Amino acid sequence: MGFFVTTLIFIVTGIIASFCARICCNKGPSANLLHLTLVITATVCCWMMWAIVYLAQMNPLIVPILSEGE
Amino acid sequence: MGDGGGGRGGCCPPMDLFRSEPMQLVQLIIPIESAHHTISYLGDLGLIQFKDLNVEKSPFQRTYAAQIKKCAEMARKLRFFKEQMSKAGLSPSAKIMMRGDIDMDDLEVKLGELEAELVEINANGEKLQRAYSELAEYKLVLHKAGEFFYSIRSSATAQQREIEAHSISEESVDTPLLLEQEMSTDLSKQVKLGFLAGLVPRVKSMAFERILFRATRGNVFLRQSAVEDPVTDPVSGEKIEKNVFVVFYSGEKVKNKILKICEAFGANRYSFPEDLGKQAQMITEVSGRLSELKTTIDVGLLHRGNLLQTIGDQFEQWNLLVRKEKSIYHTLNMLSIDVTKKCLVAEGWSPTFATKQIQDALQRATFDSNSQVGAIFQVLHTIESPPTYFRTNKFTSAFQEIVDAYGVAKYQEANPGVFTIVTFPFLFAVMFGDWGHGLCLLLATLFFIIREKKLSNQKLGDITEMTFGGRYVILMMALFSIYTGLIYNEFFSVPFELFGPSAYACRDLSCRDASTAGLIKVRRTYPFGVDPVWHGSRSELPFLNSLKMKMSILIGVAQMNLGIILSYFNAKFFQNSLNIWFQFVPQMIFLNSLFGYLSVLIIVKWCTGSQADLYHIMIYMFLSPTDDLGENQLFIGQKTGQIVLLLLALVAVPWMLLPKPFLMKKQHEERHQSQLYVPLQSTEDSFQLDTSHDSHDHEEFEFGEVFVHQLIHTIEFVLGAVSNTASYLRLWALSLAHSELSSVFYEKVLLLAWGFNNVIILIVGIIVFICATIGVLLVMETLSAFLHALRLHWVEFQNKFYEGDGYKFCPFSFALLSEEDD
Repeated sequence: MGFFVTTLIFIVTGIIASFCARICCNKGPSANLLHLTLVITATVCCWMMWAIVYLAQMNPLIVPILSEGE
Repeated sequence: MGDGGGGRGGCCPPMDLFRSEPMQLVQLIIPIESAHHTISYLGDLGLIQFKDLNVEKSPFQRTYAAQIKKCAEMARKLRFFKEQMSKAGLSPSAKIMMRGDIDMDDLEVKLGELEAELVEINANGEKLQRAYSELAEYKLVLHKAGEFFYSIRSSATAQQREIEAHSISEESVDTPLLLEQEMSTDLSKQVKLGFLAGLVPRVKSMAFERILFRATRGNVFLRQSAVEDPVTDPVSGEKIEKNVFVVFYSGEKVKNKILKICEAFGANRYSFPEDLGKQAQMITEVSGRLSELKTTIDVGLLHRGNLLQTIGDQFEQWNLLVRKEKSIYHTLNMLSIDVTKKCLVAEGWSPTFATKQIQDALQRATFDSNSQVGAIFQVLHTIESPPTYFRTNKFTSAFQEIVDAYGVAKYQEANPGVFTIVTFPFLFAVMFGDWGHGLCLLLATLFFIIREKKLSNQKLGDITEMTFGGRYVILMMALFSIYTGLIYNEFFSVPFELFGPSAYACRDLSCRDASTAGLIKVRRTYPFGVDPVWHGSRSELPFLNSLKMKMSILIGVAQMNLGIILSYFNAKFFQNSLNIWFQFVPQMIFLNSLFGYLSVLIIVKWCTGSQADLYHIMIYMFLSPTDDLGENQLFIGQKTGQIVLLLLALVAVPWMLLPKPFLMKKQHEERHQSQLYVPLQSTEDSFQLDTSHDSHDHEEFEFGEVFVHQLIHTIEFVLGAVSNTASYLRLWALSLAHSELSSVFYEKVLLLAWGFNNVIILIVGIIVFICATIGVLLVMETLSAFLHALRLHWVEFQNKFYEGDGYKFCPFSFALLSEEDD
């Protein structure tokens, strides 16, 4: 799975989560906006974390050197 | 971090929690006869914060001081009942049963009666108890002294029989013991031999003996014998170890001395008949009375227990009622009384959404109190800053408290609490990334959440209370920790190949150079998280350090940008275009032309796999921006771009500093001028305007002060941009510390113990591992990661936009009342 496919998965997950929040606790437009913000923030945080780790490993400058014992 | 979804003003509905509730200053004019009802209903509603309109009056001068005194008296009685109940080992029944309305006057009378009854019962009980312990002591004396007399007598008669004619002194000792008739013969010699019997506390017995000896110059004869079981002292009611003593003396003077000494030592004396028959009679008599008293005391105790039980059943209800009543009068005392003494005037803050509810409450109060006139509700206009009120629920309140602990938001300013709900646990998890530990946290917090209903009614310890209060924060922290743990690929520091095989493999089949030159990437990048092959390899630390350091900077720059963007929403909301153009824009430019650029460089370097040295680039961007980048060039046109960014950053500093104070001065002057030429309005209106403007506009515009303030703000931001970015490196440091610690515990404890092939060592190893994991990783590391996440939010995030100089809305509410006192 490449970078964009996984990113797409994150986006889809975010959208599904937003809809879930909308359907499960529909408490008026103000509360819904809050829930949407929370879901988006959480998705962006998670995606960022993943993306950073993924990008860092894409073109490795350092490679794993196994310990002597192994 | 999510820049999307902020409070986008016009296009969207206002977001919950993002801005504090709009408030209004209301004035209530309440007829005096319905005042009590009104305040009581408003207390039930709990949406109005009354202002104290009688600040200059002392508590005693206020209208309802007498009623408050009465309530305090009732509260005192209730406290007395509670004390008595806890002494008797009863606890007031937790359930509050509302048995209709109880009139306060009736309650007062009832409490008074109950108190009198209880006091009387207690006094009687005490008296009986005292008599009982006195009798018990008396019985002891009778027994012990009787034994003693008996033994002396038998030995004396034996002596007399054996040794015929002997010392008079011995006889004189024995005489009083033998026969009373003989004593009467002694009277002629003016030497009266007598004795006293009683009990003395054992600790004092030595001193007692010594003092007696000294005071009478040795002319006494004292015998003591210890009582095995502790005796209840009639005076103090405590159990003390005591000695029975019998002291023989001669002469009235000596007797008086001894009596005084007895008194001083707290020795209780009891009359003791010499005659054996009388003794036996006394013993039976005393035993009879003792058993009689015992039944009386038992009946008394039962009665008292029943009384306390009935009190206990209703105690909570009464307590609540009295506290409510007291708070009502307290509130009434804050209202100013009308000159005609017919109505009370109240002022207070209330959220605008509560207008309807307040009016309803007022109407009900008028109706219920059969008042002729209804209360008047009107909204006042004021320039005072209203209190800050966020409508939180049980999930959001803990997060809001995290923000409030730093400072309560200014009225209606953007609330960082909205983003804190996600970013706080996220930053925590970046430092606490281990999904094994995350699961442990999750289980712990689920325990609290599932038993929420039960626990919220209980009284918990300090630390448990705190954990319970933050259970939803911990829940979020645990969930994010599990996620970041999966990203870091650590389960108690052990990696798993959950998402497919590792991307790395040996260069050739023999795998000879795996530990010298290293492995080679053969597949696509490991799809989710850190490749498991890194764990335990020699290049693990360099790789993770580089990764986590860069991650910290990226996350930090994103969060700081979010903070600055929130300052834009603030400026837009308060319609302060100066802040948008001369604060938000240059700040954005400054931060992003330096650290935004650094972030871009990091990403470009990752994507291209370039060897460029980012430190070098950043340092020489300042030192010699015109030099050729050479091998450090990451993209075409980088040099020109850097010069532009540097210039932008340099321009942004004076842009932040200079224009704002001058423009503010100009604005102030314009406002002042226009005010000078305002045509005179109708008298009343202008009067009001004047009074309202007095405090506000007429004050001098201190240009120097404003300029210095702006200077400080600018310096703080410019230096802060550097130091705050560096501060985010704590994410790297803590997450490294966490993973290193957990791998040390795993390898040096668990694996080492495993290696011994010995069950006992293994068990010890497992126990040590569990203790270390819980104590160090789950408790201490959680705490330290929590504190660092807290700091990142309070300082690095909130100083970009948050003023936090508001004050909290504290409504008059009965619901808050019970929490306060406990």
